[in-house]
Amino acid sequence: MGTRTGNRAMQVLLTGATGFLGRRVLRQLLDEGCAVRCAVRPGSDVQSLRDFVGLRRWSRAETVNVQLANPEQCEGLVQDCDVVYHAAAALSGSASNLVMNSVVPTRNLMNAASEQGVGRFVLVSSLGIYGSQELRRNSLLDEKCPIDPAGHLRDPYTYSKILQEEVAREISQESGLPMVVVRPGVIFGDERGAMSHRVGLQLGGLLLRMGGGQRVPFTYVENCAEAVKLAGFKEGIDGQVFNVVDDDLPTGRQVLRKYRKAGRKFRVIGIPQVATNWLARFNEWYSERTEQQIPAVLTRYRVQAMWKPLQYSNSRAKEMLGWHPSTSFDEAFEKTMASGA
Amino acid sequence: MTEKRIKIGLVGCGQIADAHLQQIRRIPWAEPVAVCDLEPLLARQAAERFDVPGQFASIEEMLEVSRPDVVHITTPVESHRPLAKLLLDAGVHVYVEKPFTVDADEARDVLDCARRNDRLLCLGHDQLFDPTWLECRERIEAGEIGDVQHVESVLGYPLHGPFGTQVIANPDHWVRRLPGGLFQNTISHPLYRVTEFLSDDQPELQATWFSRFKQISFPTELRAHLRGEDVTGSLLFTSSTKPCHRMTRIYGTNGALEVDLNSQLIRADRVDRYPGAFAKIEAPWRRVCESSANLAQNVRRFCKGELHYFEGMKQTFLRFYEAILEGDEGPVSYDEILRVTEIMDRIFAECRKGDSERSEIKRRTRQTMSGTQTKKHSADNPEGLVAELSAGNGSQTV
Ligand SMILES: NC(=O)c1ccc[n+]([C@@H]2O[C@H](COP(=O)([O-])OP(=O)(O)OC[C@H]3O[C@@H](n4cnc5c(N)ncnc54)[C@H](OP(=O)(O)O)[C@@H]3O)[C@@H](O)[C@H]2O)c1
Repeated sequence: MGTRTGNRAMQVLLTGATGFLGRRVLRQLLDEGCAVRCAVRPGSDVQSLRDFVGLRRWSRAETVNVQLANPEQCEGLVQDCDVVYHAAAALSGSASNLVMNSVVPTRNLMNAASEQGVGRFVLVSSLGIYGSQELRRNSLLDEKCPIDPAGHLRDPYTYSKILQEEVAREISQESGLPMVVVRPGVIFGDERGAMSHRVGLQLGGLLLRMGGGQRVPFTYVENCAEAVKLAGFKEGIDGQVFNVVDDDLPTGRQVLRKYRKAGRKFRVIGIPQVATNWLARFNEWYSERTEQQIPAVLTRYRVQAMWKPLQYSNSRAKEMLGWHPSTSFDEAFEKTMASGA
Repeated sequence: MTEKRIKIGLVGCGQIADAHLQQIRRIPWAEPVAVCDLEPLLARQAAERFDVPGQFASIEEMLEVSRPDVVHITTPVESHRPLAKLLLDAGVHVYVEKPFTVDADEARDVLDCARRNDRLLCLGHDQLFDPTWLECRERIEAGEIGDVQHVESVLGYPLHGPFGTQVIANPDHWVRRLPGGLFQNTISHPLYRVTEFLSDDQPELQATWFSRFKQISFPTELRAHLRGEDVTGSLLFTSSTKPCHRMTRIYGTNGALEVDLNSQLIRADRVDRYPGAFAKIEAPWRRVCESSANLAQNVRRFCKGELHYFEGMKQTFLRFYEAILEGDEGPVSYDEILRVTEIMDRIFAECRKGDSERSEIKRRTRQTMSGTQTKKHSADNPEGLVAELSAGNGSQTV
């Protein structure tokens, strides 16, 4: 596809531009010379986005205030766009809120994109959507693994991402809208450190380290943004899915060690891998016995999906997107720490 | 004997619907049979997560296929009247999440419809059936604080929580379109905790609303005072303090009780038994004893799995479903539903009146200011002054 169509710069629509990942995608797209239309909400912080990308780049960006939950507003939005990058999503809140802010906008935007004949729809999904509880320990998780068939048993965010991809796939198949899906692992970087749930769970002032020997599928936010950008440019990848994780992934224990070395203090209780299952079993039992006085946040199903030791592959993204995670984990971690995240 | 069973449908699969479905699931003989939402994806997520067999985008279809006995309405308030009437006319009993309707006229219309169809209707005044509230009521009825004189109710609102952020971000949010704005959606909770003790239909009232946040264009704070024949009340709705209280203090002729619904605690103030300095020892000692008893009670309830945030909701559902099955009256009387809605209307009208009075004063002040400024200007400017004087002279000659 490249970054030019005929004589004009590629026109793209980007959602979620004010977000952690989206603002980096925007900066990289502008550096490629694209004209970027950013769909923002009436309350979005556009000022800080402008400061982030810098005034020089900003001249090729425009912002449009829309409610993506409103199908009519989506129609005009995608007009004349060669590519739609859809990175907007809610990351927390109730399941209904997540569906309204992630799945419904995806459906509306894709319907509009297919009607307007958009050349490609790039969906930012998540690595969390795989049914990894079905995989054996230490086996390879790649794009061939099936999506979790019982998303409602996962946490509300993951459920919304599973539903999002399902709906997206249906629309793409029915309407013929070319779609490329990017599934990033745990994104970290300047505003957001590497202390993911996949390392451990925060309980008041305590950190419950879950397992510790398993690799955490990190991707540095700049690396990830580059993969997302490329997913809109490369020829011949319509219909493809790309897992995006960096090279040399650290284990949860190694991440904590790095944090300590950087002078951060935690009170950690290490829960060995086998015990994570017992803990989940107890949580399920207690929750059922007390009619959810404490909800079953930790279930065996979720433990298996989140903390099982697995191998992760990024070879498809490297081969087909020509992507290379240019910042190594160590370097990215240092930058992140230096930013105070 | 037939098995005790009731089939439940739900319309509107947003955030509060989760709480309803969770609490319905705690009643073994209540069976959620269908969920319905205009947005099929919302109906789908509710059905999948709560294992409800039916999911619909049309109420008529839900009624025909799933045949519920009761339908819960958990949609935005603007739709309560048409939905409730449609359901009551179709012959089902209806549970309406608060607030009841947009205003009291609508409330009357819906209640008439329930009477006409001989179906039961219940409004979610669920905190009245919270175990801690029920205990407090019992203690008051047993005479612990004498006759109630004044009730103070507080609601702290998490404006920057998941719901509030949506209201802030979206100028078209349905909450912003309500006559009582943000308050209309939640104020009934602290209000009915006051009206429980205040029997007047039309208490005198004063109310004002305002915003504490410069970047938010709608009012986020509300204060109201109610004066009844025997009891007075005050209401504090605040978005600017933490923690987000759900508290009511009831003052009697012989002591006071404070109910903290968040912590499930009751604290009592009594008349000192000992004089002077001894009372300063007695009072904290009483607090120690009371806190120990409260701690013991909450530990006991924790062990028995009784500490649920929405316990009051479950208890309201239970009473409502039982009333349906036994042909009794529902747990919340129609008179009370109407009275609270009327008082809410009056509170909002009073706040709006205050707003227009304030802007009128501002306008007049501005006018006066600009008047003085013109005068001052003309005094500084001899030509203007001359013109003014000559105009004055002219009018005299005429
Ligand atoms: N963070 C991770 O570790 C991770 C991992 C895998 C995948 N992902 C995916 O990557 C994408 C970006 O995540 P992020 O970490 O950058 O999230 P983020 O910082 O929370 O940003 C989310 C963006 O989405 C926008 N948004 C949310 N709801 C919206 C709505 N209803 N309409 C329009 N815009 C809406 C937000 O706009 P406002 O500025 O107005 O709030 C914001 O720009 C998401 O799709 C996420 O699921 C993230």
